[in-house]
Amino acid sequence: MDKSRFSGVLATYHDPCNYGRKAERIFGHGYYDEPRWIMSQCIDNWVDTYPTRDSQYCCGGGGGTLTTGYNTERIFYGRKKMEQIQATGASMVVVPCHSCHGQLNAIKAEYGMENLVVKYLWELVADCLIMETV
Amino acid sequence: MTTPEPVSINRLNPDQFKHWPCDQDHCLTCALCSSTCPVSGIDGFDPRKIIRMISLGLQTELVESRWPWICTMCGKCEHVCPMSIHIPDIMRGIRSLRDRNQVPGILHKGLEAALKSGNNLGLPQEDFVFILEEVAEEIAQEPGFEGFSVSVDKEGANILTTIHNKLVNTHTEDLKHWWKIFYAAGEDWTIPAENWEGTNWGMFTGDDAAMKVMAGRIAENMARLKAKNLLWPE
Repeated sequence: MDKSRFSGVLATYHDPCNYGRKAERIFGHGYYDEPRWIMSQCIDNWVDTYPTRDSQYCCGGGGGTLTTGYNTERIFYGRKKMEQIQATGASMVVVPCHSCHGQLNAIKAEYGMENLVVKYLWELVADCLIMETV
Repeated sequence: MTTPEPVSINRLNPDQFKHWPCDQDHCLTCALCSSTCPVSGIDGFDPRKIIRMISLGLQTELVESRWPWICTMCGKCEHVCPMSIHIPDIMRGIRSLRDRNQVPGILHKGLEAALKSGNNLGLPQEDFVFILEEVAEEIAQEPGFEGFSVSVDKEGANILTTIHNKLVNTHTEDLKHWWKIFYAAGEDWTIPAENWEGTNWGMFTGDDAAMKVMAGRIAENMARLKAKNLLWPE
């Protein structure tokens, strides 16, 4: 992995409810450590949000709310998430969830964070791959 | 602030939800759920109030309200609940009681399309495979990925992966990340040509029967293609 790919970028990580709290309750294991280990293979410079892990704030886009049409409510829901990301000072937030990714991208401009990069965890890995070129 | 309308005792039906295994009657009314919920206050939304209404059997009021649909079922409420009441399950249960034609937005329409066609978009198999191959050709032009190809309906692969419908609709670029990782890792992987939909909107509409059909199709694909592991990121 090429750790220099994002040198100079401060990143943070968002725990999706389904991989965290929900998985912990339903499967007896919340996936908190695994994505953080992957983060550390790709970037040296990343910080956690507060609160985090099982107390993480929902992005506001889960449960089908991206598709119900109640958009004002959904954007308002995301205010705590955006404040929380802003407080980390990060310019990139990494997420391993399609709904979180969609929601954070959709609402960032509403909270003056147009430049926030929202990246899938697997996108981060793909970006940092070192390939042999012919 | 307005004074709430009193509810006539004749409208209460405490037995209404007794068969729900959600322990709503154990609520201590401590309001930790209300305090931790990011949408408490929107449109009168309050998880504690909803639990109380379930206890009192106010089904019509709950089913007609927007509350269960603006809740994301994120589970912060049940996480802090000292009585371990599974509030998101209750929300989903209320959603399930909504007339299917009154399910908000595109959720039920997408689900109907998925039950009929195998995916939320109603995308024909030929178009699906065409999109996958187009994206694969783009990857093959990137340095280090020469010779890349997408593997559809391959038998005996180590990994079978589902696809989120938005990745073959408006976000085809986002198909590339996983595929590049597979290529770099020398992974043996495949995508089913039919019933590839990874989202399962019955989860959101409270439709257990539909959810079972969608999940069952993925299990059928695993058996049909003799795949060893399932990657279902949705």
